[in-house]
Amino acid sequence: MPYVQVHYQSQIDKIAISSLVVDLIRHLECFAAVAEESHFGRAAERLGVAQPPLSQRIQRLERELGVRLFERTSRQVTITKAGTLLLEEARELLARSEALMATARRIRDGESGLLRAALPPDIAGETVAAILADFARLHPGVELELRELTTTQQLAQFASHDLDAGLIHHPCDVSGLELGPVLRREVGVLLPRDAPEAELDAVPLAALSPYDLILFHRAAAPALHDDVLTTCARNGYTPAAVRHGQGASFIRGLILSAHAVALSPRDAHTADRDPDLVWRPLAGAPLSWRLSVAWPRGRSDTAVSTFAEAATRALRETSAVSTELPPRPLHLRPAAEYWL
Amino acid sequence: MTAAARIREAFDEAGVTGWLHALDIDSGAEIGTGGDHAVVTASVHKLCVLVALHEQAAAGRLDLTEQLEVPLSGRELGPTGVAAMLDPVRMSLRDAAYLMMAVSDNTAAELLLGRIGLDAVNATTARLGLAHTYAVHTFRELLATIKEDAGPGGAQALADPYVIARLRALDPARTNRSTPRDMTRLLSAVWRDEACTPEHGAAIRRLLGLQVWPHRMASGFPFDDVHVAGKTGSLPTLRNEVGVIEYPDGGRYAVAVFTRAASTAATLPPADAVIGTTARIAVEALRGA
Repeated sequence: MPYVQVHYQSQIDKIAISSLVVDLIRHLECFAAVAEESHFGRAAERLGVAQPPLSQRIQRLERELGVRLFERTSRQVTITKAGTLLLEEARELLARSEALMATARRIRDGESGLLRAALPPDIAGETVAAILADFARLHPGVELELRELTTTQQLAQFASHDLDAGLIHHPCDVSGLELGPVLRREVGVLLPRDAPEAELDAVPLAALSPYDLILFHRAAAPALHDDVLTTCARNGYTPAAVRHGQGASFIRGLILSAHAVALSPRDAHTADRDPDLVWRPLAGAPLSWRLSVAWPRGRSDTAVSTFAEAATRALRETSAVSTELPPRPLHLRPAAEYWL
Repeated sequence: MTAAARIREAFDEAGVTGWLHALDIDSGAEIGTGGDHAVVTASVHKLCVLVALHEQAAAGRLDLTEQLEVPLSGRELGPTGVAAMLDPVRMSLRDAAYLMMAVSDNTAAELLLGRIGLDAVNATTARLGLAHTYAVHTFRELLATIKEDAGPGGAQALADPYVIARLRALDPARTNRSTPRDMTRLLSAVWRDEACTPEHGAAIRRLLGLQVWPHRMASGFPFDDVHVAGKTGSLPTLRNEVGVIEYPDGGRYAVAVFTRAASTAATLPPADAVIGTTARIAVEALRGA
């Protein structure tokens, strides 16, 4: 990618501090070489430079640091106590510098060795496993660092350049992002197995009125949270209390002992294997979670698109993603200010 | 909690990302959150068109009572004003400007832009020192990009996050843009008669005061003795308003609020109301209340 290279180079030229840092690294290389060889001539040979400039560099570094690094006699060079103290840190800096250069090289060559990706907390374990396996098969050269993050956390990490790709819940603010296909997971209700509503094949939202509602924290995906409550209210269910929680055992406990129900996709909890809980679809399928893989605009590479493919495929195969609902009518009101 | 923190909290609560700048027109005191962030102006840019129109009139390049024929074609641009009318219309430039500001009439705005040109609008904003304000296309062209990017699904496709993510009209780098601070600077210049002559300034202020919408900035000031003048702007997920709030004690405050909702719903009352809520927090902070 020549553009990246040229851009990077021009930044270095403009910013004085960068040349200073690069210079420091070069001086520390000399320091480490002389310390290891205990001899200016051998160190110079190892570094592929002449001896006088090497001596000058060591002297300059000593001036910069204000510390004498070596005791010099006519025959040999000995590292001082201060030099020993600084040598370890110098080696650390050199190692970091090498890692930085290596990463820059991989990025430049289009094969960054690490993909930082995220999934939301309610994704089933088998889906996570399928994504990891698929990614490793399709892109063996790249390590996938997978994190569990809410939509809000992912958006924040996209903004701070700490995340390369992630699976996000809609609706959310997608400015500056590119999206993969939007998938839909049907949402049903988790009930105590002995609840009267568990007898129904599909539960109307209004039938949940006697129960409190357990829902993910609003901060995790505020717009989705508000959408769910609006849809519940419109369908005759305004819970007396909304309990916020995400962990499966916490939710299970509340359902069994606090007269509450949870709304969730079928695969997000293992109700099928739970003797006390049951999952039922909602009558008329009024609720669904919409998800898609997202990444910062213009930052897609083969690793990102492989992750997008793997996550999309895994969701399609493991999470019983249903097809799109028929579109609902849209009545734009005059205050919308536009017409299409 | 600081006013800026309360404003951010109100934006979060309403499910929007918001950028705000508020300015005491007389003291120069200011408050903001994201005041220098590049934002999509949408119909807020009609304020720039209006100021440019008056600048042309002041320079003698046009007469505001000049009659404008509104052809039957080009009426499909919006739901208000001549855009919604069915029969031939003839009106003055200044009455077209009234419709453009009072009900955000896109057809009237397009005709006025056709008369003065986009370059004149950008020349005016540049002359006023609004370095971050720029119009790249007319309102017809803007709506055409949305139609093109939305594809065959039409307006219903705009509920799809995938479609929203690819709309050029929502990217400040590729559409008409400004910053909240630029807009309060413009309003302040209009209110201080620094943008044009007092006669033209008064005409601009009158039109901003005739805007009919009650649901955004005005909703934050439910007081009969407080005057609200403003111009809204809306596109899928975007809700904006810039305006001036005048208190009976003479306090005058320019406020610019730009928001982007997470939800793709076209009807979203909390996102409209938070413009009023945050404007009020800002104005009260400036008033030291």
